Amino acid sequence: MASSEEAVLLLRLAGPIQSWGDRSSFNRRDTRPEPTKSGVIGLLAAASGRAREDSITDLAELRLGIRVDQPGTLLRDYHTASDYRGRPLPQAGVSKKGVQKPTSPPKDTYVTTRFYLQDAVFLAGVAGPRPLLETLDHAVRHPSFPLALGRRSCVPTQPISRGLRDGSLGDVLAAEPWLASEHARAVHEREHRTTLGSWISLSATLEDPEHGDDILNDVPRSFDPHHRAFASRRIRHTWLKVPTGLADAGNAADTTADAGHDPFALLGW
Amino acid sequence: MTQRRFIDVHILQTVPPANMNRDDQGNPKEAVFGGVRRSRVSSQAWKRATRLAFVDHGMDKQDLGTRTKRIASKLTALLVDRTPLEEEQAARLAGALLDVLEISAGKKAGDTAYLLFYGNRQLEQVADLVMERAEELAALGDKELAAAVKDLPVKETLGTGHPVDVALFGRMVADIPTLKVDAATQVAHAISTHATELEFDYYTAVDDELEEEETGAGMIGTIGFNSATLYRFATINMRQLQENLGDDAETALKAVELFVSSFTRSMPKGYSNAFAHRTLPHLVAVVVRDDQPVNLVSAFERPVSTGNGARAHDGIAAASARRLAREHTTAVTTWGDTPAFTGLCCTLNTEDESTGSALTEAFGQPRSFPALLADLRAHLAEGSH
Repeated sequence: MASSEEAVLLLRLAGPIQSWGDRSSFNRRDTRPEPTKSGVIGLLAAASGRAREDSITDLAELRLGIRVDQPGTLLRDYHTASDYRGRPLPQAGVSKKGVQKPTSPPKDTYVTTRFYLQDAVFLAGVAGPRPLLETLDHAVRHPSFPLALGRRSCVPTQPISRGLRDGSLGDVLAAEPWLASEHARAVHEREHRTTLGSWISLSATLEDPEHGDDILNDVPRSFDPHHRAFASRRIRHTWLKVPTGLADAGNAADTTADAGHDPFALLGW
Repeated sequence: MTQRRFIDVHILQTVPPANMNRDDQGNPKEAVFGGVRRSRVSSQAWKRATRLAFVDHGMDKQDLGTRTKRIASKLTALLVDRTPLEEEQAARLAGALLDVLEISAGKKAGDTAYLLFYGNRQLEQVADLVMERAEELAALGDKELAAAVKDLPVKETLGTGHPVDVALFGRMVADIPTLKVDAATQVAHAISTHATELEFDYYTAVDDELEEEETGAGMIGTIGFNSATLYRFATINMRQLQENLGDDAETALKAVELFVSSFTRSMPKGYSNAFAHRTLPHLVAVVVRDDQPVNLVSAFERPVSTGNGARAHDGIAAASARRLAREHTTAVTTWGDTPAFTGLCCTLNTEDESTGSALTEAFGQPRSFPALLADLRAHLAEGSH
């Protein structure tokens, strides 16, 4: 593809909780520490109003880069469900007739553990043909289905789309200012008072079919519940030097050097 | 209606000491947001409370769904009622109709192997498919009967015109994808607008029949609790709702009203006898948007605190309301996307000028909850033509 037709769509993925599972099934629903390609493509497919059975080949071909602006922490959620008529839950085994047998001894409550990322902020860059990205940009701002960060109950905060940029995935992600919350900035400022500067190093994962040295198995082939399949992609882990939007290094370092003891810093406030 | 339309519901609700949704330690659920610990109530917990409240809010049971294995005997009863057929003939006809679904049969005659969540009205429509020809069909042999009903739209009838609760919350049927329904609502986990700490109530229970020489408690224990002003958000995808309800505009309007009032007035019941935490919201704002749903939780990323200033007396709820209003106004002016409708119901004292004007600027003059529902309905009804 000619590079002049290529562009990068930037998405800010933030909200109180997110969950990006890649291999979970049954009772334990994990989350990856970063958004998965299947999750981001699912969001784009929902925005553009595609049904589960519709083709997503064009979306799967887009290359994904994730920048970790605020890593967040892991939240474990305990969730129970039971039969509302008070009957025991069915077990995995079936009778000769193919009917699920009740649990014996009877088990009434079904427990699932769901993991979420709390208080995290990511910047996702989606690289591909400009015309497709332009329609996706519009779709994210005018979605057909409500969008979610990996799970339906993880509602994103606005705005999600930051528009299209020209350039390579890595360069575009590095040029965008740091998107962390007020609180995360304050913590960073306190922890790096001597090295406070206008730049911060952020970890990133870039899809790189040629030089990728790690493999993730999170490329969806179809979201059709009957034909779920995933392919793998090559990725490269890297660090990006990103503008913080904080005060310039020289002056800021001078003024904070005399700030003295901050008792709250110890508490991480 | 093919137009995109979302109905956002924003709620601020103060809950006294309570433990309505607990984790495996028995403590109220929490999450960290903006670097501080918050009280959290999962979306699942509030969706269940909402669904259970449907019947209380004037929903005809006939318009709701039934979850049963006994679909065949239900259908048989309908046929006996409405046609001259005897029970045996009706059962045979019902069986033939349901064979089209290819659901495996259950142990008992007339049972399906698993529970099917379908609408009462949908089953009536299946019966309507054969009403005119019931006797003629019943007279056929097995093979001829199967061939005669093979092309009747049984699957399509059960696959469209879903009951309101199925249309709102969705349904998953693993082996018959055409019966699957995508939920029309999205509900966020409720979180507190401010930092909370988990607290413990240490309690002792005294034995009423205690002998005089004995001392001490009959038992001791602790219950975790917290109190919080929660921000709750849900959105309805109007297009999906209409589609789920077979493009019946009137039923869709009813479903919106049902969801908004049940979501607003319901509450998860965990430990409700111990804490009696039942409250109604301080503020309900309904926003209809034709571009996208907008969750305003960012307003509380910096946790609300009452502080020491002149505002210390008016509490977290008023401060949260001002934040919510400002976030909404900023979002609208920054992105230039004016909502199609805004409505506010508010119990806060809006004589305080800055709170009152911020709320009015964002969501319009406050009105009673029934008036809010009526205005919302009028707006939606106008738009659906």
